[in-house]
Amino acid sequence: MAIAKAERLMNLALCLLGTRRPLTKRELRESIEAYIEAAAAASAANSVSGSGGDEAFNRMFERDKDDLRELGLIIETVESVDGEIGYLARRDSNRLPPITLDAEEAAALGLAAKVWQQARLAGAASGALQKLRAAGMPLAEDSYDSQPAGALEPRIPVHEAAFEPLMLACRDRRPVVFDYRKSNAARPEQRHVEPWALECWRGHWYLAGWDRERTAERVFRLSRITGKVRLRAGAYSAEVPDHVTVRETVERWSGETATRTARIKLRSGHGYPLRARALHTHPLGDGWDELEVPYGHGLDAWLVEFGPDVVVLAPDELRADVIDRLRAVAKG
Amino acid sequence: MAGNAIDQTRRMLSLVTYLRERPGAHIADVARAFGITEDELISDLDVLPLCGTSFRGGDLLDIDTDGERIWWHNPDDVAEPLRLAADEATALLVAARAVATLPGLREGDRDALLRATAKLEAAAGEAAGASSRLSVTFESEGGVFADVDRAIAERRRLWLRYYSPARDELTEREVDPIRLFAVGRTYMEAWCRLSEARRTFRLDRVAEIKLLDAPADPPPIELRDLSDLSAGLVQTGAEDPEVVVEVGPGGRWVAEYYPHDSAEELPDGGLRITLRTPDPGSLRRLALRLGRDGRIVSPRGLADSARDAAQRALAAYGE
Repeated sequence: MAIAKAERLMNLALCLLGTRRPLTKRELRESIEAYIEAAAAASAANSVSGSGGDEAFNRMFERDKDDLRELGLIIETVESVDGEIGYLARRDSNRLPPITLDAEEAAALGLAAKVWQQARLAGAASGALQKLRAAGMPLAEDSYDSQPAGALEPRIPVHEAAFEPLMLACRDRRPVVFDYRKSNAARPEQRHVEPWALECWRGHWYLAGWDRERTAERVFRLSRITGKVRLRAGAYSAEVPDHVTVRETVERWSGETATRTARIKLRSGHGYPLRARALHTHPLGDGWDELEVPYGHGLDAWLVEFGPDVVVLAPDELRADVIDRLRAVAKG
Repeated sequence: MAGNAIDQTRRMLSLVTYLRERPGAHIADVARAFGITEDELISDLDVLPLCGTSFRGGDLLDIDTDGERIWWHNPDDVAEPLRLAADEATALLVAARAVATLPGLREGDRDALLRATAKLEAAAGEAAGASSRLSVTFESEGGVFADVDRAIAERRRLWLRYYSPARDELTEREVDPIRLFAVGRTYMEAWCRLSEARRTFRLDRVAEIKLLDAPADPPPIELRDLSDLSAGLVQTGAEDPEVVVEVGPGGRWVAEYYPHDSAEELPDGGLRITLRTPDPGSLRRLALRLGRDGRIVSPRGLADSARDAAQRALAAYGE
């Protein structure tokens, strides 16, 4: 049976951290059991020469270094005077700076670490806590299990397949291509985007970035990305703003940044959400109330939901939109 | 969490640091400190003695256990606390910032979280940079939240006036709160004394709330598993009545918002969506909202009630 990957990675990490001078690929290959075994297996399979073993080792070694870098290890590549490449992970650049957390702070971080429901981030959050624990963070009563400090259990949902590739693309500043279906479009369109930031609002994830073809900032809802997110080579063409606000754009979509108001009649005892947002309400006395409500994008569709319990008084444009919608339904 | 080689490597690197400082550590304590099961810890302890700190081999980690305690006989200074990776800093910082914005969080907890976040940012250094590229906002109604939180802490019953969008009405009920959770929006799980069942209440639909003096007395019930909300919060059963909706391209959002059994593509770019609901009447709102972007195909009664509502609404405009 092949040696487990975790054992191989652990040996490579310890060798690189333990050495005072750069180690060559050859030295690492000859000293780590898993590489010796893999090379033997590969050259046995390729009886012509040992070159199959070299290639297999090189690929494995490169992947392993990438994996360790994902875990936070800074691995330096050093060229010696005779041109040989060596590797090492210096202690001082890999050490966690001193950090002292009290039991309350530890408990608060323990609660925060549990909010991720996405495997990669949940693993990373636990890994961070383990590093802090190894560095002396006290074990609070309710750090991992049992009840959190409050009665609240916050969770961050991630259902969108596009999340992980986009998170990595934002992190590494890599341009991407994906198919995107706008909310009212029949078919998806290919979009070339320089991703800036991801934001979760009301349980949905959004991406803000530079749309290369529209040469403008755009916000995308992740659930509308169809198919795979593919990385593109090269650097960003547009400057990344210091502050990216997804939320303002999304609020505008959902009609929450209304600049105008509308007057409606609402049957008493109905339409609580309209009442909760009304600027003024006064009873008309005949089983109806008159309300002034914010008039933003989508108000017509929302008012129609209340059927005969709402009548639009003003403005005329909204009244016409509502009548138009009602006619479509009345025709059946 | 243990299945993945990357996570296991990460954990084992921290484990050696931890063990170096604590000769003879108890298995149960170490497992708890690392948030893993004892079996997971034992499988790490099986791997560690096969790992060496020198490129020449020969000086493998001499770590062993008698099943209760763990000893490292040749501790090495290779085991220093390691810097945080970018993903680790991001995962913890983004979550901490999000939780700190919850209006209902107790002040002491919020202060601790803010202090910890600042310390973490300093210790993460460069690795904290990418965490600004991810953010999460929780929605939560502050006042209602504080009352529910207090009721849970003091084990008291609550009186609610609660909005039901399906019927567009407010109902009054007494509930025994069990817990609060936030998944995008904030919810209370409670035993509802009106329906004599476990119910999930969205806090932004609580129109009015009062703490009662009566003690909460919920029967022992199984809580919903928060790690499996992928199907959405609304739970429907296979025995619920079926509703078929046909939408044009402009109504495709229905498939995003309503859990459904199937959504077939239609030639005009629309969808034929089949969903189940315990109360088809509640979908009248959907039918009205869709307008020319869609229609209810079945049941017939639901389509009729939407048409009837639209006709009565038009009458008010003189049509």
